Amino acid sequence: MNTIIKVENLNFGYTRQDTILKGISFEVIQGRFLAIAGPNGAGKTTLLNLLCGLLRPKAGSIRIDSAPVESYSAKKLAQKVAVVRQEFVPVFDFTVAQMVSMARTPYLGTFGFESNTDKQIVNEALEATETAQFALRALGSLSGGERQRVFIARALAANSPVLLLDEPTSFLDLKHQVGIYDLLKTAQLEKGKTIVAVTHDINLAAQYCDEILLLGANGNYHIGETKDVLSPEQIERVFGVRTFVGKLGQEKFFIPLGKFAKYSGQIAGKPHNIQQE
Amino acid sequence: MAEFLTSKELAIKVSICLGVLVVVMCLCALVGTQNISLERVFDGPGQKPGENIDYEIFARVRLPRVILAALVGAALACSGVVLQAILRNPLADPYILGISSGAGLGVIITILSGISWSFWGGSPIGIFAFAGALITVWLVWYIGHFTGKSQATSLLLAGVVVNAFFSAIIMFLTSIAKSEQVFSTIFWLMGNITDKELSVLWVSAGCIIAGIIVLFTVCHRLNVLALGQEEAKGLGVDVARTRIVAFACAAFITAIAVSLSGLIGFVGLIIPHGVRLAFGPDHRQLLPLSAIIGAAFLVIADTIARIIVAPAQLPVGVITAIAGGPFFLILLAKYSRKVSWLK
Repeated sequence: MNTIIKVENLNFGYTRQDTILKGISFEVIQGRFLAIAGPNGAGKTTLLNLLCGLLRPKAGSIRIDSAPVESYSAKKLAQKVAVVRQEFVPVFDFTVAQMVSMARTPYLGTFGFESNTDKQIVNEALEATETAQFALRALGSLSGGERQRVFIARALAANSPVLLLDEPTSFLDLKHQVGIYDLLKTAQLEKGKTIVAVTHDINLAAQYCDEILLLGANGNYHIGETKDVLSPEQIERVFGVRTFVGKLGQEKFFIPLGKFAKYSGQIAGKPHNIQQE
Repeated sequence: MAEFLTSKELAIKVSICLGVLVVVMCLCALVGTQNISLERVFDGPGQKPGENIDYEIFARVRLPRVILAALVGAALACSGVVLQAILRNPLADPYILGISSGAGLGVIITILSGISWSFWGGSPIGIFAFAGALITVWLVWYIGHFTGKSQATSLLLAGVVVNAFFSAIIMFLTSIAKSEQVFSTIFWLMGNITDKELSVLWVSAGCIIAGIIVLFTVCHRLNVLALGQEEAKGLGVDVARTRIVAFACAAFITAIAVSLSGLIGFVGLIIPHGVRLAFGPDHRQLLPLSAIIGAAFLVIADTIARIIVAPAQLPVGVITAIAGGPFFLILLAKYSRKVSWLK
């Protein structure tokens, strides 16, 4: 089992004084699916931007495929790591096919025309994400869920071993949320991709991800197998909210409880023990 | 199945457009106050000087001017394409980063100071316009980098501020100048294609074509850069390098165009848009086709400017603005459903 991402003693802050990530160390084994979860402002997106070389750490190191991130050229890094950022609509009306083809940029020659291999890879990515039917439509004319599939198609077409995603399902309805995670899980299982996804949805993380990194607002963090890390106590500590825990077979699910939750009166006495089989 | 732009397909499209451009240029060179016959023009090569007036007019007077118009049109259209991509702003044009006011300032300083030496057989106005344009662009680039991380916005703002500041200086200088000096300044500011020395023409042609070829090699990266710098970096593009190459070439060819013909508006804005509406936003295709169509557009506009109030001549900038506006509106009305930023 190869370690593909290795983060050691990582420190980062946007200004000289502050640090939002402090002493973070973890490893991701090739072919694993890691979720990064935590409250707003904990530095999840920042961590993702550090992993893809957009930001430089203040201290510590990040190694991708055993070489430091900063040692890669933009081109070489893009061949190792593909990134899906939070959803956006481009200024100019690129078609879906053009958008997905851009994943081949690091492989193109001087004048930038796709080779037959490039075309085949793009077509495979379109097929795999069921976006081939929109290939000639403008990206702006698609719905949010369709658009997100296109961005995932682009990430697949980059043919990189690592996929980084920043809240891939944040604007999607339930069906599309599950659809996107199904797609990612398929890429993990069939193509052996290593996937790191920032998410707010701990239930999707519990269902799909092998490991989870819980990033607290005060700089502490927990990483481990999803089933070990996710517990009501841990969630309350990190997110500051009580949860109801249910179990469906082997899978746990969590429902956050607010002030007006119907059974809050009952739960108040014994906060974390209402488990139902 | 996805469709891909192949180099063969692009070569065919470019050849067809180039063919049309050559025909347009020849036709426009035949049109003018003095009627000349095509037959006599074809007889021209090989005859002694002075023997065939039609050929002389065609080859020595009109053709250089038509070539000049084509060069300026191509340069402005390409520069518009590139700046719209790197600034990610559909409203960008070649003058948005201060080239116009910088060149204008250079010109008014030349005219007011009464410099009379000539350079390379031409007036020093072009040289000063060129220098003014490049110095201003450098200034805008420097301020843009100095002020912000989100470079597209800070560059735009720097351009706006510098443009406003230099325009104020131009207005101040105009208001203290003599009336004939004011007239020649304004005439220059309106954009004007006039006869140039052949040597100047060939050197400029070489520079502009070289600039366009360099820009063509970054076109596939411009596609990615138009998505924003984070996206571009994630897709393996060296953002800083691509941006500097694209920006420097665009500024360089615009400065040459401005020094040749003054400020011709609208070409750099509407041609890229028109071509994008008709052929899509892929810059590998957008750039060469914009160059050729921009060239044809300006050749036609200049021909109209030559003949519409003959024997007098209008500044071509007047024609591009008057013809370009409605033409652009028609295009927009026709294709507006295809364009997401209009929704």
